[in-house]
Amino acid sequence: MKYMCLAYLNETKSEAMTEAERNAFLDVCFAYDDVLRAKGHFLSGEGLESARTATTVRVKNGKPFVTDGPFMETKEQLGGVLILEAKDLDEAIQLISNHPGIAAAGFEIRPIADMTSALQASEKRRRAAAKA
Amino acid sequence: MKYICLAYVGEEGWNTMTESQRNAALDEVFSYTDELRANGHLLAAEGLQSARNAATLRVVNGKVSVTDGPYVETKEKIGGVYVLQARDLNHAIQLMSKHPVVRAGGVEIRAVLDMTPMLEASRERRTGAKG
Repeated sequence: MKYMCLAYLNETKSEAMTEAERNAFLDVCFAYDDVLRAKGHFLSGEGLESARTATTVRVKNGKPFVTDGPFMETKEQLGGVLILEAKDLDEAIQLISNHPGIAAAGFEIRPIADMTSALQASEKRRRAAAKA
Repeated sequence: MKYICLAYVGEEGWNTMTESQRNAALDEVFSYTDELRANGHLLAAEGLQSARNAATLRVVNGKVSVTDGPYVETKEKIGGVYVLQARDLNHAIQLMSKHPVVRAGGVEIRAVLDMTPMLEASRERRTGAKG
């Protein structure tokens, strides 16, 4: 099973770290990512630029409406995304519980939907519509 | 530049749709995703299961605490994640403004941080510490 792990962090707190603190924290995080990678659990990961640089697109009166900032104004913001391969949710929880990043971030773990059958059914409908 | 686009959807809206409404919505989403892929703008896309299946981990008093449900309880939840390749933020906005998933809630566009220099510096510190 694939799991999307969303890391939420308080940017003000993480920006207040000294360089030495930040380096030490990054080192333990990257070292643990290497462990996950070596065991085949780490499928991909991305860190995000500050939520202050976020842009949100919504639809208002049928037209796209663009605003600065994240979708939700909350104390913690999404700071990174990790895709894990795990047997089940319990294993994903265990893998993230051991991640040193958890000292600075809260993690939301979400099972990834297998879209294969929905995609195949949609392709079939669209092909039939194109023929008609 | 790489951009992560978080698609927030109102799950209730989806659950009250009829099957043919759902199929029509999926067909629109998949065909625009195909267009993005064909133009080299789509690096990855993942749909998520309902946020009811989420688990959230936090550190409370030095210990990891696990709770059911998403990190933030809101009406709209992250339902999918797209990784786009775009010239700049305006280009990413333009690409996502046309995406039918925007109508299901909204899309947050976030620039991906280039971690390469941080990762390299960290590798150097770690191998240096060992040697």
